[in-house]
Amino acid sequence: MEQIYLDHAATSWPKHPAVLHAVLLTMETAGGNPGRAGHKLAMQAARRLGAAREALARLLGAPDSSCISFTKNATEALNVALLGLLRPGDHVVTTGVEHNSVMRPLRYLQQQGVRLTVVPCAADGLVDPDDVRKTLTATTRLVVATHASNVLGTIQPIAQLGEVAHKVGAHFLVDAAQTAGALPIDVQAQGVDMLAFTGHKALLGPQGTGGLYVRPGVNLPPLLRGGTGSASELEEHPEFAPDRYEAGTPNVPGIAGLAAGAEHILNWGVARVRAHEELLLTRFLDGLANIPDVVVYGPREPARRAGLVSLNLRGISPAALGQALEEGYGILTRVGLHCAPAAHRTAGTFPDGSVRFSFGGSTTLDHVNTSLKALEELSVHART
Amino acid sequence: MHELDGVITFFSSHHAVRAERVLQLHNIPNRTVPCPRELSSSCGVALRFPHEGRTRVAELLAIANVQFESIHHHPEAQSLPPGWTSLLQRLKRPERKGEGS
Repeated sequence: MEQIYLDHAATSWPKHPAVLHAVLLTMETAGGNPGRAGHKLAMQAARRLGAAREALARLLGAPDSSCISFTKNATEALNVALLGLLRPGDHVVTTGVEHNSVMRPLRYLQQQGVRLTVVPCAADGLVDPDDVRKTLTATTRLVVATHASNVLGTIQPIAQLGEVAHKVGAHFLVDAAQTAGALPIDVQAQGVDMLAFTGHKALLGPQGTGGLYVRPGVNLPPLLRGGTGSASELEEHPEFAPDRYEAGTPNVPGIAGLAAGAEHILNWGVARVRAHEELLLTRFLDGLANIPDVVVYGPREPARRAGLVSLNLRGISPAALGQALEEGYGILTRVGLHCAPAAHRTAGTFPDGSVRFSFGGSTTLDHVNTSLKALEELSVHART
Repeated sequence: MHELDGVITFFSSHHAVRAERVLQLHNIPNRTVPCPRELSSSCGVALRFPHEGRTRVAELLAIANVQFESIHHHPEAQSLPPGWTSLLQRLKRPERKGEGS
Protein backbone atom coordinates (compact mmCIF):
# COMPACT_ATOMS: atom_id res chain seq x y z
CA MET A 1 0.00 0.00 0.00
CA GLU A 2 1.36 3.41 -0.98
CA GLN A 3 1.85 5.75 1.96
CA ILE A 4 0.11 9.09 1.49
CA TYR A 5 1.38 11.74 3.88
CA LEU A 6 -1.27 14.41 4.43
CA ASP A 7 -0.06 15.89 7.72
CA HIS A 8 2.05 18.77 6.38
CA ALA A 9 0.39 21.21 8.81
CA ALA A 10 2.07 19.24 11.62
CA THR A 11 5.39 18.98 9.79
CA SER A 12 6.28 18.80 6.11
CA TRP A 13 7.55 15.52 4.73
CA PRO A 14 9.48 14.43 2.79
CA LYS A 15 11.99 17.27 2.95
CA HIS A 16 13.60 18.55 -0.25
CA PRO A 17 16.92 16.73 -0.90
CA ALA A 18 18.71 20.12 -0.77
CA VAL A 19 17.62 20.40 2.88
CA LEU A 20 19.06 17.00 3.78
CA HIS A 21 22.31 17.76 1.97
CA ALA A 22 22.65 21.16 3.63
CA VAL A 23 22.39 19.62 7.12
CA LEU A 24 24.98 16.97 6.34
CA LEU A 25 27.32 19.33 4.50
CA THR A 26 27.23 21.82 7.37
CA MET A 27 28.23 19.16 9.88
CA GLU A 28 30.98 17.94 7.55
CA THR A 29 32.47 21.24 6.44
CA ALA A 30 31.20 24.07 8.65
CA GLY A 31 31.53 22.49 12.09
CA GLY A 32 32.78 25.50 14.06
CA ASN A 33 30.81 27.54 16.58
CA PRO A 34 29.45 30.61 14.77
CA GLY A 35 30.62 33.96 16.10
CA ARG A 36 32.77 32.33 18.78
CA ALA A 37 36.02 32.43 16.85
CA GLY A 38 37.51 33.88 13.69
CA HIS A 39 38.90 30.61 12.38
CA LYS A 40 37.57 29.28 9.14
CA LEU A 41 35.28 26.56 10.49
CA ALA A 42 33.59 29.06 12.81
CA MET A 43 33.30 31.50 9.94
CA GLN A 44 31.74 28.85 7.70
CA ALA A 45 29.12 28.22 10.38
CA ALA A 46 28.52 31.97 10.76
CA ARG A 47 28.05 32.26 6.98
CA ARG A 48 25.41 29.49 7.05
CA LEU A 49 23.47 31.38 9.72
CA GLY A 50 23.85 34.59 7.71
CA ALA A 51 22.52 32.94 4.55
CA ALA A 52 19.53 31.64 6.51
CA ARG A 53 18.81 35.13 7.88
CA GLU A 54 19.03 36.63 4.38
CA ALA A 55 16.64 34.03 2.92
CA LEU A 56 14.09 34.49 5.73
CA ALA A 57 14.31 38.30 5.50
CA ARG A 58 13.56 38.10 1.77
CA LEU A 59 10.65 35.68 2.27
CA LEU A 60 9.05 37.80 4.98
CA GLY A 61 9.79 41.22 3.50
CA ALA A 62 11.93 42.26 6.48
CA PRO A 63 13.88 45.52 6.07
CA ASP A 64 17.14 43.88 7.19
CA SER A 65 18.35 40.36 7.91
CA SER A 66 19.43 41.34 11.45
CA CYS A 67 15.69 41.51 12.30
CA ILE A 68 15.53 37.70 12.01
CA SER A 69 16.49 35.67 15.10
CA PHE A 70 16.45 31.90 15.20
CA THR A 71 14.70 29.84 17.89
CA LYS A 72 13.95 26.16 18.19
CA ASN A 73 10.37 26.59 16.95
CA ALA A 74 7.46 29.01 16.56
CA THR A 75 6.38 28.30 20.14
CA GLU A 76 9.67 29.59 21.53
CA ALA A 77 9.47 32.66 19.27
CA LEU A 78 5.92 33.39 20.47
CA ASN A 79 7.02 33.00 24.09
CA VAL A 80 9.91 35.43 23.54
CA ALA A 81 7.47 37.99 22.14
CA LEU A 82 4.62 37.49 24.64
CA LEU A 83 6.65 37.10 27.84
CA GLY A 84 9.08 39.82 26.77
CA LEU A 85 6.49 42.44 25.92
CA LEU A 86 3.62 41.99 28.37
CA ARG A 87 3.73 43.17 32.00
CA PRO A 88 1.05 43.04 34.73
CA GLY A 89 -1.56 45.72 33.98
CA ASP A 90 -1.01 45.52 30.22
CA HIS A 91 -3.97 44.63 28.01
CA VAL A 92 -3.58 42.06 25.22
CA VAL A 93 -6.13 41.09 22.58
CA THR A 94 -6.23 37.82 20.66
CA THR A 95 -8.67 35.77 18.57
CA GLY A 96 -10.89 32.77 19.25
CA VAL A 97 -8.94 30.38 17.00
CA GLU A 98 -5.43 30.56 18.46
CA HIS A 99 -3.13 27.58 18.90
CA ASN A 100 -1.98 26.65 22.41
CA SER A 101 1.42 28.13 21.52
CA VAL A 102 -0.32 31.51 21.90
CA MET A 103 -3.10 30.64 24.37
CA ARG A 104 -0.99 28.88 26.99
CA PRO A 105 1.54 31.72 27.41
CA LEU A 106 -1.39 34.18 27.45
CA ARG A 107 -3.30 32.23 30.11
CA TYR A 108 -0.10 32.12 32.18
CA LEU A 109 0.37 35.88 31.77
CA GLN A 110 -3.27 36.42 32.72
CA GLN A 111 -2.52 34.74 36.06
CA GLN A 112 0.35 37.24 36.47
CA GLY A 113 -2.00 40.21 36.08
CA VAL A 114 -2.06 40.80 32.31
CA ARG A 115 -5.58 41.59 31.10
CA LEU A 116 -6.63 39.33 28.23
CA THR A 117 -9.46 39.75 25.72
CA VAL A 118 -10.28 36.87 23.36
CA VAL A 119 -12.31 38.15 20.40
CA PRO A 120 -14.77 35.49 19.15
CA CYS A 121 -14.54 34.43 15.50
CA ALA A 122 -17.25 33.42 13.05
CA ALA A 123 -17.93 29.66 12.84
CA ASP A 124 -15.65 29.47 9.79
CA GLY A 125 -12.83 30.93 11.92
CA LEU A 126 -12.70 34.45 10.52
CA VAL A 127 -12.07 37.31 12.93
CA ASP A 128 -13.64 40.68 12.16
CA PRO A 129 -11.05 43.48 12.56
CA ASP A 130 -13.90 45.75 13.67
CA ASP A 131 -14.65 43.39 16.58
CA VAL A 132 -10.97 43.61 17.54
CA ARG A 133 -11.02 47.41 17.25
CA LYS A 134 -13.95 47.64 19.71
CA THR A 135 -11.92 45.91 22.45
CA LEU A 136 -8.85 48.16 22.20
CA THR A 137 -8.04 50.75 24.84
CA ALA A 138 -5.18 53.08 25.69
CA THR A 139 -3.64 50.30 27.83
CA THR A 140 -3.70 47.72 25.00
CA ARG A 141 -0.07 46.78 24.53
CA LEU A 142 -0.45 44.02 21.96
CA VAL A 143 -2.75 42.40 19.42
CA VAL A 144 -1.72 38.81 18.60
CA ALA A 145 -3.31 36.70 15.86
CA THR A 146 -2.58 33.62 13.85
CA HIS A 147 -2.11 34.24 10.13
CA ALA A 148 -4.10 31.07 9.41
CA SER A 149 -5.87 28.71 11.79
CA ASN A 150 -4.21 25.29 12.10
CA VAL A 151 -7.66 23.72 12.58
CA LEU A 152 -9.94 25.60 10.19
CA GLY A 153 -7.37 26.87 7.70
CA THR A 154 -8.98 30.31 7.81
CA ILE A 155 -6.65 33.06 6.59
CA GLN A 156 -7.01 36.12 8.81
CA PRO A 157 -6.96 39.72 7.51
CA ILE A 158 -3.60 40.51 9.13
CA ALA A 159 -3.00 43.83 7.37
CA GLN A 160 -6.29 45.17 8.77
CA LEU A 161 -5.59 43.76 12.22
CA GLY A 162 -2.20 45.50 12.20
CA GLU A 163 -3.87 48.74 11.23
CA VAL A 164 -6.41 48.69 14.08
CA ALA A 165 -3.68 47.75 16.58
CA HIS A 166 -1.45 50.63 15.52
CA LYS A 167 -4.32 53.15 15.80
CA VAL A 168 -4.22 52.79 19.59
CA GLY A 169 -0.43 52.47 19.72
CA ALA A 170 -0.43 48.71 20.33
CA HIS A 171 2.05 46.30 18.78
CA PHE A 172 0.96 43.55 16.39
CA LEU A 173 2.32 40.00 16.64
CA VAL A 174 1.55 37.34 14.02
CA ASP A 175 1.80 33.56 14.45
CA ALA A 176 2.84 32.44 10.95
CA ALA A 177 3.40 28.77 11.84
CA GLN A 178 0.98 27.62 9.12
CA THR A 179 1.80 30.23 6.50
CA ALA A 180 5.52 31.18 6.34
CA GLY A 181 6.61 29.72 3.00
CA ALA A 182 3.05 28.88 1.91
CA LEU A 183 1.38 32.29 1.69
CA PRO A 184 2.84 35.64 0.61
CA ILE A 185 3.98 37.64 3.65
CA ASP A 186 5.32 41.18 3.71
CA VAL A 187 5.80 42.30 7.30
CA GLN A 188 6.37 45.92 6.31
CA ALA A 189 3.41 46.25 3.93
CA GLN A 190 1.14 44.32 6.33
CA GLY A 191 2.09 46.33 9.41
CA VAL A 192 3.49 43.40 11.38
CA ASP A 193 5.75 44.34 14.32
CA MET A 194 6.73 40.80 15.28
CA LEU A 195 6.24 37.53 13.46
CA ALA A 196 6.90 34.01 14.71
CA PHE A 197 7.67 31.32 12.14
CA THR A 198 8.47 27.64 12.26
CA GLY A 199 11.15 26.12 10.07
CA HIS A 200 9.77 22.61 9.66
CA LYS A 201 6.42 23.17 7.96
CA ALA A 202 6.03 25.09 4.68
CA LEU A 203 9.66 26.28 4.88
CA LEU A 204 10.67 22.60 4.53
CA GLY A 205 13.45 22.77 7.13
CA PRO A 206 14.28 20.30 9.90
CA GLN A 207 12.24 20.10 13.10
CA GLY A 208 13.70 22.12 15.95
CA THR A 209 14.09 25.25 13.83
CA GLY A 210 12.05 28.44 13.83
CA GLY A 211 12.45 32.10 14.50
CA LEU A 212 11.17 35.53 15.25
CA TYR A 213 11.07 38.71 13.18
CA VAL A 214 11.23 41.84 15.34
CA ARG A 215 10.76 45.22 13.65
CA PRO A 216 13.62 47.63 14.32
CA GLY A 217 12.41 50.02 17.01
CA VAL A 218 10.39 47.46 18.99
CA ASN A 219 12.10 47.19 22.38
CA LEU A 220 11.62 43.55 23.24
CA PRO A 221 13.66 42.17 26.15
CA PRO A 222 15.02 38.64 25.56
CA LEU A 223 13.80 35.50 27.32
CA LEU A 224 17.28 34.01 27.73
CA ARG A 225 20.62 35.66 28.40
CA GLY A 226 24.07 34.15 27.98
CA GLY A 227 26.94 33.68 25.59
CA THR A 228 26.57 35.21 22.16
CA GLY A 229 30.18 35.42 21.00
CA SER A 230 29.72 39.19 20.83
CA ALA A 231 30.56 41.89 23.40
CA SER A 232 32.43 39.22 25.35
CA GLU A 233 34.12 41.82 27.57
CA LEU A 234 30.75 42.59 29.18
CA GLU A 235 28.80 40.58 31.73
CA GLU A 236 25.61 42.27 30.52
CA HIS A 237 23.71 40.68 27.66
CA PRO A 238 23.93 42.65 24.36
CA GLU A 239 20.89 44.69 23.30
CA PHE A 240 21.41 44.45 19.55
CA ALA A 241 19.60 41.96 17.32
CA PRO A 242 19.96 39.19 16.42
CA ASP A 243 22.45 38.40 19.24
CA ARG A 244 19.97 39.68 21.83
CA TYR A 245 17.63 36.76 21.12
CA GLU A 246 20.21 34.06 20.43
CA ALA A 247 21.97 33.26 23.71
CA GLY A 248 23.88 30.00 23.55
CA THR A 249 25.13 27.94 20.61
CA PRO A 250 22.48 27.75 17.91
CA ASN A 251 21.34 24.69 15.94
CA VAL A 252 23.62 25.46 12.97
CA PRO A 253 23.00 22.24 10.99
CA GLY A 254 19.24 22.60 11.43
CA ILE A 255 19.24 26.27 10.48
CA ALA A 256 21.43 25.51 7.44
CA GLY A 257 18.74 23.01 6.42
CA LEU A 258 16.10 25.68 6.98
CA ALA A 259 18.12 28.06 4.77
CA ALA A 260 18.12 25.46 1.97
CA GLY A 261 14.37 25.01 2.34
CA ALA A 262 13.72 28.77 2.33
CA GLU A 263 16.00 29.24 -0.70
CA HIS A 264 14.14 26.48 -2.53
CA ILE A 265 10.84 28.26 -1.81
CA LEU A 266 12.31 31.59 -2.96
CA ASN A 267 13.53 30.03 -6.22
CA TRP A 268 10.27 28.21 -6.80
CA GLY A 269 8.19 31.21 -5.74
CA VAL A 270 5.65 31.46 -2.92
CA ALA A 271 2.98 32.28 -5.52
CA ARG A 272 3.55 28.89 -7.20
CA VAL A 273 3.45 27.06 -3.87
CA ARG A 274 0.16 28.80 -3.16
CA ALA A 275 -1.29 28.05 -6.62
CA HIS A 276 -0.50 24.34 -6.15
CA GLU A 277 -2.20 24.27 -2.72
CA GLU A 278 -5.27 26.11 -4.03
CA LEU A 279 -5.59 23.58 -6.85
CA LEU A 280 -5.52 20.71 -4.34
CA LEU A 281 -7.95 22.52 -2.02
CA THR A 282 -10.38 23.19 -4.86
CA ARG A 283 -10.42 19.54 -5.96
CA PHE A 284 -10.72 18.26 -2.39
CA LEU A 285 -13.50 20.65 -1.31
CA ASP A 286 -15.46 20.03 -4.53
CA GLY A 287 -15.19 16.27 -4.04
CA LEU A 288 -16.12 16.42 -0.35
CA ALA A 289 -19.32 18.28 -1.18
CA ASN A 290 -20.56 15.13 -2.99
CA ILE A 291 -19.85 12.65 -0.18
CA PRO A 292 -22.78 11.97 2.15
CA ASP A 293 -22.25 12.53 5.88
CA VAL A 294 -18.97 14.46 5.49
CA VAL A 295 -18.97 17.66 7.56
CA VAL A 296 -16.30 20.18 6.48
CA TYR A 297 -15.16 22.97 8.81
CA GLY A 298 -13.77 26.36 7.83
CA PRO A 299 -14.25 28.59 4.78
CA ARG A 300 -15.88 27.17 1.63
CA GLU A 301 -13.62 29.18 -0.70
CA PRO A 302 -10.15 27.69 -1.29
CA ALA A 303 -8.72 31.22 -1.60
CA ARG A 304 -9.59 31.91 2.05
CA ARG A 305 -7.78 28.81 3.36
CA ALA A 306 -4.27 27.66 4.10
CA GLY A 307 -3.60 24.21 2.58
CA LEU A 308 -5.60 22.18 5.08
CA VAL A 309 -9.12 20.84 5.57
CA SER A 310 -10.61 19.57 8.83
CA LEU A 311 -13.65 17.33 8.59
CA ASN A 312 -15.70 14.66 10.28
CA LEU A 313 -17.86 11.78 9.14
CA ARG A 314 -21.21 12.11 10.91
CA GLY A 315 -21.54 9.59 13.75
CA ILE A 316 -17.88 8.45 13.56
CA SER A 317 -15.18 9.46 16.02
CA PRO A 318 -12.15 11.25 14.53
CA ALA A 319 -9.84 8.60 16.04
CA ALA A 320 -11.76 5.80 14.29
CA LEU A 321 -11.71 7.64 10.95
CA GLY A 322 -8.00 8.40 11.25
CA GLN A 323 -7.25 4.76 12.04
CA ALA A 324 -9.34 3.48 9.10
CA LEU A 325 -7.68 5.95 6.70
CA GLU A 326 -4.25 4.73 7.73
CA GLU A 327 -4.95 1.00 7.92
CA GLY A 328 -7.17 0.76 4.86
CA TYR A 329 -5.62 3.33 2.55
CA GLY A 330 -2.20 4.35 3.92
CA ILE A 331 -3.42 7.93 4.37
CA LEU A 332 -1.72 9.69 7.28
CA THR A 333 -3.78 12.50 8.83
CA ARG A 334 -4.02 14.29 12.15
CA VAL A 335 -6.96 13.44 14.40
CA GLY A 336 -8.33 15.02 17.56
CA LEU A 337 -7.96 18.53 18.91
CA HIS A 338 -4.78 19.71 17.09
CA CYS A 339 -3.51 21.65 20.19
CA ALA A 340 -6.10 24.39 19.68
CA PRO A 341 -9.18 23.91 21.90
CA ALA A 342 -10.36 27.49 21.21
CA ALA A 343 -10.52 26.86 17.46
CA HIS A 344 -12.48 23.66 18.02
CA ARG A 345 -14.96 25.54 20.23
CA THR A 346 -15.35 28.07 17.41
CA ALA A 347 -15.97 25.29 14.87
CA GLY A 348 -18.26 23.34 17.20
CA THR A 349 -15.91 20.33 17.21
CA PHE A 350 -14.98 20.47 20.91
CA PRO A 351 -14.25 18.08 22.63
CA ASP A 352 -14.13 15.32 19.99
CA GLY A 353 -12.04 17.23 17.46
CA SER A 354 -11.74 16.48 13.76
CA VAL A 355 -9.66 14.73 11.13
CA ARG A 356 -7.28 17.13 9.40
CA PHE A 357 -5.94 16.63 5.88
CA SER A 358 -3.07 19.03 5.14
CA PHE A 359 -1.16 19.47 1.91
CA GLY A 360 2.38 20.34 0.92
CA GLY A 361 4.72 20.47 -2.06
CA SER A 362 4.83 16.67 -2.36
CA THR A 363 1.03 16.33 -2.38
CA THR A 364 -0.47 15.41 -5.76
CA LEU A 365 -3.96 15.43 -7.22
CA ASP A 366 -3.75 11.61 -7.08
CA HIS A 367 -3.33 11.82 -3.30
CA VAL A 368 -6.41 14.05 -3.10
CA ASN A 369 -8.43 11.73 -5.35
CA THR A 370 -7.42 8.68 -3.30
CA SER A 371 -8.50 10.51 -0.14
CA LEU A 372 -11.88 11.32 -1.68
CA LYS A 373 -12.35 7.70 -2.79
CA ALA A 374 -11.43 6.47 0.70
CA LEU A 375 -13.85 8.86 2.40
CA GLU A 376 -16.63 7.91 0.00
CA GLU A 377 -16.06 4.18 0.61
CA LEU A 378 -15.90 4.65 4.39
CA SER A 379 -19.00 6.82 4.32
CA VAL A 380 -20.94 4.12 2.41
CA HIS A 381 -19.74 1.27 4.64
CA ALA A 382 -20.43 3.19 7.84
CA ARG A 383 -24.09 2.93 6.98
CA THR A 384 -24.11 -0.83 6.27
CA MET B 1 -3.62 -14.49 16.72
CA HIS B 2 -4.63 -12.56 19.82
CA GLU B 3 -7.26 -9.89 19.53
CA LEU B 4 -5.82 -6.56 20.62
CA ASP B 5 -8.84 -5.80 22.77
CA GLY B 6 -7.04 -3.86 25.50
CA VAL B 7 -6.16 -0.18 25.31
CA ILE B 8 -3.57 1.61 27.46
CA THR B 9 -3.93 5.39 27.60
CA PHE B 10 -1.16 7.79 28.54
CA PHE B 11 -0.64 11.37 29.71
CA SER B 12 2.30 11.80 27.36
CA SER B 13 3.40 10.17 24.11
CA HIS B 14 6.86 9.86 25.71
CA HIS B 15 5.47 7.14 27.94
CA ALA B 16 3.46 5.59 25.07
CA VAL B 17 6.71 5.05 23.17
CA ARG B 18 8.41 3.62 26.27
CA ALA B 19 5.46 1.27 26.86
CA GLU B 20 5.59 0.07 23.25
CA ARG B 21 9.26 -0.82 23.78
CA VAL B 22 8.51 -2.71 27.01
CA LEU B 23 5.77 -4.79 25.34
CA GLN B 24 8.02 -5.52 22.35
CA LEU B 25 10.83 -6.66 24.65
CA HIS B 26 8.44 -9.14 26.27
CA ASN B 27 6.96 -10.33 22.96
CA ILE B 28 3.51 -9.07 23.83
CA PRO B 29 1.56 -8.26 20.63
CA ASN B 30 0.82 -4.54 20.47
CA ARG B 31 -0.02 -1.71 18.11
CA THR B 32 -0.16 2.06 18.58
CA VAL B 33 -3.45 3.67 17.58
CA PRO B 34 -5.01 7.14 17.79
CA CYS B 35 -6.46 7.22 21.30
CA PRO B 36 -10.22 6.57 21.25
CA ARG B 37 -11.69 9.84 22.46
CA GLU B 38 -14.21 8.12 24.74
CA LEU B 39 -11.32 6.64 26.75
CA SER B 40 -9.10 9.69 27.23
CA SER B 41 -8.25 13.14 25.99
CA SER B 42 -4.84 13.28 27.62
CA CYS B 43 -2.59 12.16 24.79
CA GLY B 44 -3.33 11.36 21.17
CA VAL B 45 -1.58 7.99 21.18
CA ALA B 46 -2.82 4.78 22.81
CA LEU B 47 -1.42 1.24 22.80
CA ARG B 48 -3.52 -1.82 21.93
CA PHE B 49 -2.62 -5.23 23.40
CA PRO B 50 -4.45 -8.48 24.40
CA HIS B 51 -6.49 -7.49 27.44
CA GLU B 52 -6.17 -10.92 29.08
CA GLY B 53 -2.53 -10.04 29.87
CA ARG B 54 -3.39 -6.77 31.59
CA THR B 55 -2.12 -7.70 35.05
CA ARG B 56 1.30 -8.69 33.72
CA VAL B 57 1.43 -5.64 31.43
CA ALA B 58 0.64 -3.29 34.32
CA GLU B 59 3.41 -4.94 36.36
CA LEU B 60 5.94 -4.73 33.53
CA LEU B 61 5.15 -1.05 32.96
CA ALA B 62 5.44 -0.31 36.68
CA ILE B 63 8.83 -2.07 36.86
CA ALA B 64 10.04 -0.05 33.84
CA ASN B 65 8.78 3.14 35.49
CA VAL B 66 6.42 3.85 32.57
CA GLN B 67 3.53 6.08 33.60
CA PHE B 68 0.17 5.35 32.06
CA GLU B 69 -3.27 6.78 32.65
CA SER B 70 -5.43 3.65 32.59
CA ILE B 71 -6.07 0.27 30.95
CA HIS B 72 -9.40 -0.41 29.27
CA HIS B 73 -11.17 -3.38 27.73
CA HIS B 74 -12.11 -1.97 24.35
CA PRO B 75 -12.46 -4.45 21.44
CA GLU B 76 -11.57 -2.92 18.09
CA ALA B 77 -15.03 -3.70 16.77
CA GLN B 78 -16.29 -1.33 19.44
CA SER B 79 -14.29 1.62 18.09
CA LEU B 80 -15.07 1.08 14.39
CA PRO B 81 -18.47 0.97 12.66
CA PRO B 82 -19.51 -2.67 11.96
CA GLY B 83 -19.30 -2.13 8.17
CA TRP B 84 -15.68 -1.01 8.39
CA THR B 85 -14.24 -4.16 9.97
CA SER B 86 -14.82 -6.31 6.86
CA LEU B 87 -13.93 -3.41 4.53
CA LEU B 88 -10.57 -2.89 6.23
CA GLN B 89 -9.81 -6.62 6.25
CA ARG B 90 -10.47 -6.74 2.51
CA LEU B 91 -8.31 -3.66 1.86
CA LYS B 92 -5.42 -5.03 3.91
CA ARG B 93 -5.43 -8.50 2.32
CA PRO B 94 -3.34 -7.86 -0.84
CA GLU B 95 -0.52 -6.38 1.23
CA ARG B 96 -0.37 -9.49 3.46
CA LYS B 97 0.01 -11.71 0.39
CA GLY B 98 2.77 -9.41 -0.89
CA GLU B 99 4.65 -9.82 2.38
CA GLY B 100 4.37 -13.59 2.04
CA SER B 101 3.11 -14.06 5.58
